Amino acid sequence: MFHTTFYLRRLHSLVGLLILGGVIFEHIFTNSMAIGGAAALNGALAMMELIPHPIFLAIEVCAIAVPLLFHGIYGVYIALQAKNNPRQYGFCRNWQFALQRWTAWYLVVFLIWHIGYLRIFTKGITGTPISYELLHNLFTSSPITTVLYILGMFAAIFHFCNGITTFCMTWGIAKGPRVQKVIACLSTLLCIVMCLITLVFMGSYFVM
Amino acid sequence: MAEQKTVRFIIERQDGPDAKPYTQEFDVPYRPGLNVVAALMEIQKNPVTVDGKKVAPVVWECNCLEKVCGACMMVINGKARQACCSLVDKLDQPIHLAPARTFPVIRDLLIDRSVMFESLKRIQGWVEVDGTWEVKDAPIQNPYTAQTAYEISHCMTCGCCLEACPNVGPQSDFIGPAPTVQAYLFNLHPLGKFDAPKRLNALMEKGGITSCGNSQNCVEVCPKKIKLTTYLAQLNRDVNKQALKNIFNH
Repeated sequence: MFHTTFYLRRLHSLVGLLILGGVIFEHIFTNSMAIGGAAALNGALAMMELIPHPIFLAIEVCAIAVPLLFHGIYGVYIALQAKNNPRQYGFCRNWQFALQRWTAWYLVVFLIWHIGYLRIFTKGITGTPISYELLHNLFTSSPITTVLYILGMFAAIFHFCNGITTFCMTWGIAKGPRVQKVIACLSTLLCIVMCLITLVFMGSYFVM
Repeated sequence: MAEQKTVRFIIERQDGPDAKPYTQEFDVPYRPGLNVVAALMEIQKNPVTVDGKKVAPVVWECNCLEKVCGACMMVINGKARQACCSLVDKLDQPIHLAPARTFPVIRDLLIDRSVMFESLKRIQGWVEVDGTWEVKDAPIQNPYTAQTAYEISHCMTCGCCLEACPNVGPQSDFIGPAPTVQAYLFNLHPLGKFDAPKRLNALMEKGGITSCGNSQNCVEVCPKKIKLTTYLAQLNRDVNKQALKNIFNH
């Protein structure tokens, strides 16, 4: 008896929280350098360039591409098994359950665009390095792009933070309703803080 | 004499398993303490719609009339609940009745809930008593878990939790909260616990506990107030330990 479904589900949960959660933190950390202006962000990007190219590529493939593809593709399969009913059963957790799936659908589309345009096309094919000037131009030239990017960040942050709550349930860490509520409140707080940081660094492109 | 007060019922009906659903409206004479089952009995006595058309009586299922058997579960004003304990005075009118479509509809409000029985068989929802050993006195229950076992044993497989769960339905193979949590009841039993690894392994299979998406609707709608999410989390803990045993014990 080999429980493929069980291990895939648990892997999906682990990958989402630990690996992709790390990717979100890295993005927020690096991008928040934009608050300090062009020099600060470009400095942070240059720091990453210090990692030898083959190693950096290996990290990108093993720690981002493969986990993201697995989490995304298996996640679509999971999302298709749900018949969201928050309008019928309007409990808080049920809304979060539905939002977890709606943000997932948005992220599938958003990430194809984001990775396809910035990493594969801009950096990979045209060879243009990612810089403060490039992002400044990308966001200030098109308010729609900015809004879609902010929504993308919000979706990823919510998906991650709600994922912390459900991770604690799925792994049997938080069993009773009281501890589940405490964890839900803490992850909501984290969600709000991360969203605010996102708004600040995205807004900084328009101030300077 | 003052005009008789009536209650309007809007009922989603269906003539057979594959027939197209339609709605019909009925006015039922009001009386204090009227519940949905009693109102359906009134409709059965006088199956005339508000348009004055005589129709076939509405089919539904009920048995105990005191929230113990689970048979009269239906969707009342959008929520899965027992018809027998749904008091008209506490419901918004007009009252909408619909079958719980998570299950196959047989006719009108009558559904086929045998899928839950099949699920209970899957998780071995019983205690093995027949064997080569001598049957002695019943073993004592653990007094520290007896309260929990008693609580879970209240489950009447009404199916409210399955109807409310977004992950149960034709689109998914999830067996649902009720049968899953029953595994915990039998794992707590002094004799049933011998088969705990069997039940946990069954829960790790496709459609088992891993299909739970933590929407937590089950615990909100359970008419017996069983702390389903708490026991689901406990079972998650148990299947994780079982998985480690499966990997490292062989």
